[in-house]
Amino acid sequence: MIRILDIADEARLTLANLADTASDLAVPNLRLGVTGLARAGKTVFITALVHNLIHGGRLPVFNAAAGGRLTRAFLQPQPDDAVPRFDYESHVAALLEERLWPQSTRQVSELRLTIEYESASYLARRLGPGKLNIDLIDYPGEWLLDLPLLKRSYAEFSVEALKRARAANRGEIAAPFLAELSGIDPDGPETETSAQALSETFKTYLAACRQDSHALSMLPPGRFLMPGDLDGSPALTFAPLDIPFDAAPARTGTFRAMMERRYEAYKTHVIRPFFRDHFARLDRQIVLVDVLHALNAGPDALTDLQVALGEVMTSFRPGRKSWLASIVSRRIDRILFAATKADHLHREDHDRLEAILRKLVAKGMEHAQYKGAEVDVLALAAVRATREATVKHGGQELPAILGTPLPGEGVDGTRYDGKSEIAMFPGDLPEDPESVFQTVESISPNSVEVDSSLQFLRFRPPRLDRTAEGMKLSLPHIRLDRAIEFLIGDRLR
Amino acid sequence: MTDHPNDQRASNSPSRPARKPAAFSLDDERVRYADEDPDEVLSAEALISMAADDETIPRLPAETSKPSKSFSFGKWIAIGLGGLVSLSVGLAIDNLIRDLFARTDWLGWTATGLAAVAVLGLLGLALREFLGILRVGKIDHLRDALTDAAEADDAKAAQAGLKDLIALYEGRPETARGRRALAGHMREVIDGRDLVILAERDLLAPLDLEARRIVMNSAKRVSVVTAVSPRALVDLLAVLFENIRTIRRLSALYGGRPGTLGFFRLTRQVVTHLALTGGMAAGDSLTSQVLGHGLAARLSARLGEGVINGLLTARIGIAAIAVCRPAPFVATKGPSVTDFMGELVQRAEKEDMAK
Repeated sequence: MIRILDIADEARLTLANLADTASDLAVPNLRLGVTGLARAGKTVFITALVHNLIHGGRLPVFNAAAGGRLTRAFLQPQPDDAVPRFDYESHVAALLEERLWPQSTRQVSELRLTIEYESASYLARRLGPGKLNIDLIDYPGEWLLDLPLLKRSYAEFSVEALKRARAANRGEIAAPFLAELSGIDPDGPETETSAQALSETFKTYLAACRQDSHALSMLPPGRFLMPGDLDGSPALTFAPLDIPFDAAPARTGTFRAMMERRYEAYKTHVIRPFFRDHFARLDRQIVLVDVLHALNAGPDALTDLQVALGEVMTSFRPGRKSWLASIVSRRIDRILFAATKADHLHREDHDRLEAILRKLVAKGMEHAQYKGAEVDVLALAAVRATREATVKHGGQELPAILGTPLPGEGVDGTRYDGKSEIAMFPGDLPEDPESVFQTVESISPNSVEVDSSLQFLRFRPPRLDRTAEGMKLSLPHIRLDRAIEFLIGDRLR
Repeated sequence: MTDHPNDQRASNSPSRPARKPAAFSLDDERVRYADEDPDEVLSAEALISMAADDETIPRLPAETSKPSKSFSFGKWIAIGLGGLVSLSVGLAIDNLIRDLFARTDWLGWTATGLAAVAVLGLLGLALREFLGILRVGKIDHLRDALTDAAEADDAKAAQAGLKDLIALYEGRPETARGRRALAGHMREVIDGRDLVILAERDLLAPLDLEARRIVMNSAKRVSVVTAVSPRALVDLLAVLFENIRTIRRLSALYGGRPGTLGFFRLTRQVVTHLALTGGMAAGDSLTSQVLGHGLAARLSARLGEGVINGLLTARIGIAAIAVCRPAPFVATKGPSVTDFMGELVQRAEKEDMAK
């Protein structure tokens, strides 16, 4: 594998790991990487996880909590002074009081949760610390798309990006950018204005690909979609150029040389620190995938998501954890792939959703299992927004879900106002996961039939009842307890 | 809603045709909840019932993995001889009543009355035995169903099996808490295997603890009796008696309540189970044997023998637990001989010191 970090970075990582190992002797620390592309539900997952642990939610499958061994879970002061704190309180308030999902995340934030527990085994209870720190990191999912770029040169990036832009499913959206590109000579003199214009059309094209109707995922570089605090800086003002894969080095002063320089600057100043600070030292990882959003948009979106996940997942370092090796280098020894928003489906279809997810993340799973990490796949809803029901209508029995759709969502021309509750049957997932990846070309080019056989609405967060003391009950969920058990359960035995 | 698009998607799911998405507004007057009137649905109406519908997933029947019953001559002999004995008994009674009538009428009537009482009693006994066998069979079925559900991670099968399990313990007030917790879990979206594990932890755990105590006590008693008994025959009788009692108590504990015939069946199952697991537990028994003989050298011979007999009783008790328990051990491995060995050995050593 090509080395993604340079020697200095590796040395810094090793030092940090040594320091961590020393501090782990006092209270062990577990870095849980919540991974997922934009809108996969990372913020909601972290909020629900923390809320359920702190408030003792219903977690029957999570052994430590169900067995009464978990005495307390509480939030620590933010450990890292340079990173903002994850705004847990306001996310909970938005979910519970206003019944709104969190806004999309714009910057990195961090949270440390401490769990106090008693081990089930006598020795560990006597000798162990009885505490576990869990570090959770939230970040814009778009940025994850940058990780594969670390392994690519500018020429490779250009060729791949243009190949995607010219593909049949994107040609229409990319037309303005391609038109702008055709007017530029890579070996001409560098000009800031045309660089900005080209970069601007490139960004517009990437943003358009993300719209609900296309729902594409493989859209690097990620900062072009969610710039953070670097907006407008030269490192974010570049675009792919029409150059061959094995082009000779660019002459200085040419437009191509400028673009190449900026791409390298992007890698050095943006991607590498992000990767080094947040992803290179993970112990456990959960990969959240919004399969339903891609299913809504059709086979193209799914295939794109598959490619993006495959690229992203191979950037991590899974592997079996050994006691001695873990002193100097960390490996992710457990990876959980979760199809989020499983509450938008009836439970009968959860197995099929898992099958589709397995197919989507096949590359990443293979990579992780080959390296010796433990892998699991499940359908998850960190916050369950719906209830289940059966609808008898027109001679059919339909497994439906009850919930309040978000304002603006609609079925068959009906728009909902975000107040009325409906019963929704979203369509059957196919038994064969392969079929959702196939375009139905024989029927019609824009595949109207496919669109009409599956439709997933977005629902508002659930309304929660208060107990007699005025306390809100814990957030309902689907399989969050199983996810927690898989991710941290073995550390609390 | 009735016309299905005959596209590729529809042909890909042979078990049911693809259904189009549909939405129903809950404040619509055409929408009704099922608990009002579950049966009739008007064509324009949509009926909403909150419970999930039942659908079975085709699987191979359980019998496919079991050996088919072979033709048995032994059964013929049993039927023939049993019939002859019953006939002879009937003849004897008939003769007796005739003789009594020949002597005095009232004696004959009394005998007839007594015979009728005996017949009634026999019928009652047969009924109870039959029910006992049914109960034991039901527990076997339940265990098979739950094992399959846990293996296939099939939530629906697990739900169905656990409903039966809760029904089985309905009359046991000490399981009230566990039953309520389990019923709560079943309302949520939890996978099949996890559900069976939860049942084991919440509902069966107290019963398992009690079962372990029963086996432990009987093993201890056997080891003491063997150590102090003057004759081998007394040992043998004591071991037999203790084992029968253990099986009976375990079965009652897990809700089996077998009659006499059911008990014989259970005992046969225990023996079969012992034979089947014997190979697997070879390592286990080796340790116990080596340790036991080492112990026999260390302790007096009698006490060592006592410990070994106690361990054998524990082994039978473990087999009985596996046969009587209405659910498989999924989350835990279940009790093993080593669990009992420590305490038995400790006790024996203490007694040896006291001598």
